[in-house]
Amino acid sequence: MENKQFIAISKRFDIKNVGKVTGKEIYASDVNIPGMMHAVVLRSPYPHAEIKSIDLTEAEKTGAICISRDDVPDLIYNERIVSIPDKTYKDRTVLPKDKVRHTGEAVAAVAADTEETAFKALEKIKVEYKKLPAVFDIDEAMKPDTSQLYSYVYLGDKKIDIENNIACVRNISVSDIDKGFEEADVIVEETFNVQRIYHMQLETKSTVCVPEADGGITIWTTTQGIHNVRILLGEIFNIPLHKINVKRITLGGSFGSSIQMNSITPICVALALKAKSPVKLVMPREDDIYDHASYPLRTKIKIGAKKDGTLTAGHCKVWVEIGAHNIQAYPYLGCIAGWFASLYKWINIKYEGKAVYTNKTPTCARRGYGSPQINFPVENAMDILAEKLGMDPIELRLKNYVGKGDEFWGQGPTIKSIIRSCGVEEMLVEGSKLIGWDKRIPPSEKTGDIRRGIGVARGFHTSGTGGPNPGEVIDYSGATVKINEDGSVDVVTALMDHGGGTWDVAAKVAAEVLKVPFDKVGIYNGVDTRTTVFDVNTHATRGVYCGCGAVKLAAEKVKKILLNYAATLFKDLPENLELVCNEELGQAVVYPKGLPEKYKTVGEIAKTAQIKSWGTIAYTSSLRQKNCPPCFITYFTEVEVNTKTGQIKIPRVIMMGDSGTIMNPELWKGQIIGAFSQGIGLGYIEEIPYDTNTGKLKCNGFITDFKVLTTTEMPKIDDIKVLPAHTYEPTGPFGAKGIGEAALSAVASSFGNAVYNAVGIRFYDLPITPEKMLKALKEKEEKKDKKE
Amino acid sequence: MKKAEIEFTVNGKKRTLFVKTNELLINVLRNDLNLTGTKYACGIGECGACTVLLEGRPVLSCLTLAVDVNGKNITTIEGISKDGFDPVQKSFLKNAAVQCGFCTPGMILMAKSLLKENPNPTEDEIRDYLRGNICRCTGYTQIIKAVKECANNHNQDK
Ligand code: FES
Ligand code: FES
Repeated sequence: MENKQFIAISKRFDIKNVGKVTGKEIYASDVNIPGMMHAVVLRSPYPHAEIKSIDLTEAEKTGAICISRDDVPDLIYNERIVSIPDKTYKDRTVLPKDKVRHTGEAVAAVAADTEETAFKALEKIKVEYKKLPAVFDIDEAMKPDTSQLYSYVYLGDKKIDIENNIACVRNISVSDIDKGFEEADVIVEETFNVQRIYHMQLETKSTVCVPEADGGITIWTTTQGIHNVRILLGEIFNIPLHKINVKRITLGGSFGSSIQMNSITPICVALALKAKSPVKLVMPREDDIYDHASYPLRTKIKIGAKKDGTLTAGHCKVWVEIGAHNIQAYPYLGCIAGWFASLYKWINIKYEGKAVYTNKTPTCARRGYGSPQINFPVENAMDILAEKLGMDPIELRLKNYVGKGDEFWGQGPTIKSIIRSCGVEEMLVEGSKLIGWDKRIPPSEKTGDIRRGIGVARGFHTSGTGGPNPGEVIDYSGATVKINEDGSVDVVTALMDHGGGTWDVAAKVAAEVLKVPFDKVGIYNGVDTRTTVFDVNTHATRGVYCGCGAVKLAAEKVKKILLNYAATLFKDLPENLELVCNEELGQAVVYPKGLPEKYKTVGEIAKTAQIKSWGTIAYTSSLRQKNCPPCFITYFTEVEVNTKTGQIKIPRVIMMGDSGTIMNPELWKGQIIGAFSQGIGLGYIEEIPYDTNTGKLKCNGFITDFKVLTTTEMPKIDDIKVLPAHTYEPTGPFGAKGIGEAALSAVASSFGNAVYNAVGIRFYDLPITPEKMLKALKEKEEKKDKKE
Repeated sequence: MKKAEIEFTVNGKKRTLFVKTNELLINVLRNDLNLTGTKYACGIGECGACTVLLEGRPVLSCLTLAVDVNGKNITTIEGISKDGFDPVQKSFLKNAAVQCGFCTPGMILMAKSLLKENPNPTEDEIRDYLRGNICRCTGYTQIIKAVKECANNHNQDK
């Protein structure tokens, strides 16, 4: 991985953000402002109810500041604004005006000097509800006589009617699906369910709002995109944008949960404006679980192939149960189509997607944005198909994958581009050698209580959402790069770092272009919407490819300015000068080509520019990437099923990733291993079922009953191999693509395929819990007995 | 609610405070002493993010009453190295055992405590010791590696 020609990229450095190990790093929930009040939120106990009245009188008598529906603007908005306005569905207000649509929906809020007094005031709020019938299931929800969550919503500025709780629909066809199935010798048709889960980002959603003297506000909040929060708050509260400042602050995990403006952010703002005092709102975990969940997916998949394994047709019918708000179901349906269409060459494609409202917690993006949800059906179906064809699953994949030179529309049908780098074959071939694929035996040959199996699955994610032509999603980034008077460099960007090291990569990119040592580049917090230019959001695995692409552009412009100044000093032309890193000096230096001993340090040049009043060596870029190259992933997962307890262990895994140039080797590995742990959670234990009688989560909001993996379930250090494909993405900064979301896409699929290989049972609904496993094993036994 | 006076040592400094008798240690640390390195992530003893050392032993500050630490010694993440970085902190930075960093203070304090009890733990012992600390980002492997590396270095130091 180490590349000699680079000075920073691909090199292993300690993490820059050292505050994270000393306790000094400040997260939104750590912001303490003198005199600030603490806020708490009153939430609906019912999944669906009309709000007859809200009485704040008694609560206000305690001296607390209270807000309910009358205290918040009427504007109906969508908290996620990355789709173009015409494609943005809007169905919510800051607090509900007429009815609550899910248990845990905010109804009123209180701010007081301490959290305790705020809670006491909260207890005094009287809300009169009229309970309405609630729906928790998509089939139920789509019936014509079922209770409706909405009669209308807005699409852009257009009012549209909602019927049968269907939030939106997306149908896409390529070529002739009927012809495709006619040509097929073998057809597989199955239905799969991937469950909704809770993101369980470690920091609960938090906001601090300070009202300023000029009527403006300053905000610290958990978000993946400070500019979108600013624009939305401006619209909602009718405050000009120059008076709103959203601070970029370290995020304690998000995985999509803070991709939109958090629901509590405008609540906190409304309280602060009313109180004329700083207000802090940190969600208790029990509230946070009722705030967001990942999109589940039901998929009816039908695929066809010729005897030789050539695919002829792929048909997917998907239903997504979105819960009580449509945050971004429309682009989600588009992306699912894209993830599906761009995995294999189906030739003839039909896709029918429906998003359906229910009275559950609203769903939003989660790492992969639907890719893990559709990958599970596709990669299972491919294994089923391989078995029917009598073909090796790897051979079938190699024959049909969408790869280099192929058209690709990962981000949905409006964003098409050509794949220019692809490590799929290398990963499948090398990975199979490492896991010992040739020694893999069918489940029928396995005996004993403990059974092992190996499964493969592959997936991808786009790096950003750019295409040759702008699509339905806004996509551009910006950055300022500045050489300081001592030759050190500042990188200023609105880009967020989710923990994957995006800021470290940004620093590396600037270091690489300007030949400045990595430790002389600063990329610190303390920047905000006022000091940064627009960056759409750190989502869609776009941090490195798009965000750091903008850093590279800015750094290249800065290099030009630098060489122009240097040329004046050397009385030469810029093109006759050389810029290199002098590690001994710990500085970048410039010299006339062929005369290295005549060097001047970049510090000297910058200092001269300052003393002589030439100006600052700085540039601000704005960059739209015109591609969103796929980063590919392949997992070879080994499982060990205990047929007596139903428990599944992971003794071994080979993880292969194709990110083009690997910018940050250790964190790159960390991203993949972390995603693996999340993916096994999805495959094995995570779920958030509802009690449909009460409309509450069965875990009641407590993580005691929402398990995620701990240290003990992961394979041992030596049994995890993470390896890169050797590719170079010509359109990416220094050849790089992304990794973060790709890494999750195929984990649960490889797990499911491995389970099949171990016990010969195909599971169609995730998670494959020990209880489900035992039940399935018993059914299998019974069937066998009957046959005998 | 009645308030009580408590006197305790935090990161080597004597502190005297008036706290409500039902106040939790986590709130006193975070709100009164501005030691925000101690994190809240569940409040019910399920995640380990709020871990601090009480007389050198890990406790969950979200389940500890502030009045119960009267007269005692507390170490938070802010107090584990006087200058520069402690070997465990260094190892976390080097091994990319830190992603979002929200679980990190708790993890590092647990690791410190483990290494004190058992200077050369096996991989299984490390896993077992850290099993109550949730990390949603890393998948734990690099954390375990970071601790293991300290263990070995620790031994070489001696
Ligand atoms: S916050 Fe104390 S254990 Fe989670
Ligand atoms: S690094 Fe994010 S939770 Fe552990």
